[in-house]
Amino acid sequence: MIGTIASQQSLLLRRQHVALVGLITMLAVTAIAGVLGWSSHHTIVRVFDQAVRLQAAAGQPAPPNPFLLKPNLSLLSNMVVYIPLIGALLALVVGHLSMVDDQSKGMGRLLFTRQVTRTQYALGKVLAATRFLALTLVGCGVVSIVALLAVNRTLGSSDLGRLTGFYVLSWAYLAVFVLVGILTALLTRRRSLALLSAIGVWLVITFVVPQFTSGLRPTQSLNPLTEPAGTSQAFFRVTQHAQPLSIVEQYKTAAGNILGTSPTSPTTETVLTIVPTLIAGFGLLVLVLWRIQRHDYARSASDE
Amino acid sequence: MSEPVIELQGLQHRYDTDLVLRDVDLSIGEGEIFGFLGHNGAGKTTAMNILTTLLEPTGGTATICGYDVVTDRREVTRLIGYLPADVRMYGHMSAAENLEFLAKLSGVPDARAAARETLEYLGCADLAKRRVGTFSTGMRQRIGIAQAIVHRPHVLFLDEPTSGLDPMGVRQLRETVLQLNRDLGMTVFMNTHQLNEVSKVCTTIGVLNHGELIYNDSIEATMRRFPDEASLEDIYVRVGDLAS
Amino acid sequence: MSESTNRILQVARHEYRAAVRSRALIILLAILVVATGFSVFIGATDYAAQLAEYDAYRAAAQAQGLTRIAPSPLAVLSLLRGAFEYLEIIGAIIAITLGYLSVSRERVSRTLPLLRSRPLTGTELAAGTFLGALAIFTTLIAATAVVGIVALGTIGNDWINPAQVLRLTLACVAALLYLSAFYCLGAIATAKAKMPANGLVIALGIWLLVVLVLPQIGDTLDADNQLPGGLFQALGLNHDGEVAVLTHFTGYEQVRTGIEEASLAKHFERFAFAMSDVKERYRPYGLPWLLNETRHDIGWLFAYTAVLFLGLRRTLTRQQPIPTGGNS
Repeated sequence: MIGTIASQQSLLLRRQHVALVGLITMLAVTAIAGVLGWSSHHTIVRVFDQAVRLQAAAGQPAPPNPFLLKPNLSLLSNMVVYIPLIGALLALVVGHLSMVDDQSKGMGRLLFTRQVTRTQYALGKVLAATRFLALTLVGCGVVSIVALLAVNRTLGSSDLGRLTGFYVLSWAYLAVFVLVGILTALLTRRRSLALLSAIGVWLVITFVVPQFTSGLRPTQSLNPLTEPAGTSQAFFRVTQHAQPLSIVEQYKTAAGNILGTSPTSPTTETVLTIVPTLIAGFGLLVLVLWRIQRHDYARSASDE
Repeated sequence: MSEPVIELQGLQHRYDTDLVLRDVDLSIGEGEIFGFLGHNGAGKTTAMNILTTLLEPTGGTATICGYDVVTDRREVTRLIGYLPADVRMYGHMSAAENLEFLAKLSGVPDARAAARETLEYLGCADLAKRRVGTFSTGMRQRIGIAQAIVHRPHVLFLDEPTSGLDPMGVRQLRETVLQLNRDLGMTVFMNTHQLNEVSKVCTTIGVLNHGELIYNDSIEATMRRFPDEASLEDIYVRVGDLAS
Repeated sequence: MSESTNRILQVARHEYRAAVRSRALIILLAILVVATGFSVFIGATDYAAQLAEYDAYRAAAQAQGLTRIAPSPLAVLSLLRGAFEYLEIIGAIIAITLGYLSVSRERVSRTLPLLRSRPLTGTELAAGTFLGALAIFTTLIAATAVVGIVALGTIGNDWINPAQVLRLTLACVAALLYLSAFYCLGAIATAKAKMPANGLVIALGIWLLVVLVLPQIGDTLDADNQLPGGLFQALGLNHDGEVAVLTHFTGYEQVRTGIEEASLAKHFERFAFAMSDVKERYRPYGLPWLLNETRHDIGWLFAYTAVLFLGLRRTLTRQQPIPTGGNS
């Protein structure tokens, strides 16, 4: 039954063009990240050339080669920002659509007068949405590999492993937002309220919590290179203890560690940063399974 | 009366403080076509939601072929087919795809063949490949019936099946219900306002008034009991008057 | 008052009342208020500490008989930066939501044919709903500004002067234009979409691009942002060296600026930051210079809002009975 529900939902995602739009968006974003990475590479080369000439004219020694400071996978550093912004919103919408379409058509009356249980139904929906995200991220991975080969010319097995690790982490992070989209659809009666509540949760996780725990202003969250600010204040010395709960910061830290674009940390530390995301995902899944048992599926269709 | 297929005993349902079903006792036999009548808000849909396992009653019991709708949900859902009011399906999918999916959920082994056969049986094989989103109300209702019988249920629940249909659609639906009852031996439980249809299709009727079952008998007996009334509509009004 | 004005005001009043009853809007407003309040509180607390340090320094310098005392490096209005950033991100979502709710309400309740069967033109309808939205935004921005000013005064121990009030007011006007543009976007997308919720998703996609992605790309392309700590510092170049190198990157910088300029959010940000002393290079100058320097930004804000309002008017004027949703 879970497989039947999941296949049906995957077909719907395809037919509604959600999958196509989502896939194209994510691939385009990955390509943009690649182009930005290439542009960064190119700019550094040109700035370095100019700097060497300038220093030579002034009779000074050549500056250090900046590529020694730039890790191989830094080309993808923008993906660390795009996944929590664009990927998470896409995941919300996919999770949201998985539930609300059935609700607004009154499909529950047809489904739950059959032998499928609500738990099977919810698991089927979650499976379809997370499978879609996994396929999308595989596509992003392929684009990333092409971009890395185009710019760096080589791609070692270690880099390939890191890349795989990064996309697996991203999948786990996005799964949390699929569940948020599903849960808000189950908690609210109107489509719009469900979607806006999910977006509200995303805003809080992405912009508000990091300010609380690290003093990051909202627009600082958009820059992959920005260091947390304001931690000197006594307030943040207290609130930074809550940093493990800020899953977007934990995701960025773990992603930076895996890609090697931030100062290296021991593997155990990286694994620990992923734990809150996994706990959040598991907790949300339990909530979804609990909530769906109580959801009123006897309601008729509505236009909203 | 034949062996009861649907049985309600002291059935109650309460939404917060509002008691919408009050100790309803009802028994419907094998092969009957039962018309459930009542004004808007009388509690007909609530009763149907309970019988189709969508809602748990707050009191009393309801059984289908001896299976309790709350504790034996799995067996009950195997035995019933349901056409909700204002039925909608996945608009981006064809009629056949919708049917196949719902047949799978009903545990039909060869769902594709069942979908095709059902559409042929109802004379709407031409709709199989068309997307449901493009259907008129009448077509949607026919596909609605198809999904309700695709797994060949024992009992068919129809909620306001003729609402929104044109006269030809109403006639077609009436013939389909009689055909299902005759050919496949389905017991039919139908919520409706269309008294004209009830008199042409149903074998027994029940009248619900503010959650209370105020009348329940066969059509023949009803006509005998109220010889002075010209039509079922007059009888319905009379029953309401007697109850109040 | 002419009959037309009266009809517009009636629609505006209806819009305002309906909006403040929306639970979705209340949830988002609550998020914005909490986030903004928190941001101002943190800024003001920090500011109070820095101000106390500066006062101590000045007192010590005076006690030592120093005549040349460094002026305070602090700019009280700059503490509202977080509030402007939240308006830029969350405020825009609220505006889109309001536009969405405004149109979807009529679609779901199927009241548009009822309105259009009255002597109400599409222009009046558009103007009325727009005015209603403006009233909501004015309330929101004014409340944010008052909370900010009071927080700066009571927690930060520095009350702003009348000249700063004027600049803050201008920044608030820019915020009003910015939010109005997103309101129109939300309403147009909802009216054009087959299902209202799809319109909301499309408008949010545009928001994502305009508010987050384009400015982010512009920032990322900044030559100095290529390495943590700054590329020029990594190369051991001082400011003169940086300027000398950048003369070879004018084309590149133009592309970068072009990407940023395509974003309405960036124009709002630049104008609001100039008015509120966020950027240090603007601090020494008076209002006329600032207005001249940011004329393009406020011009673009006006242009975007006007075009989107005309789009809304056109959509509502041409709108035949809007599809009510359906089975797809």
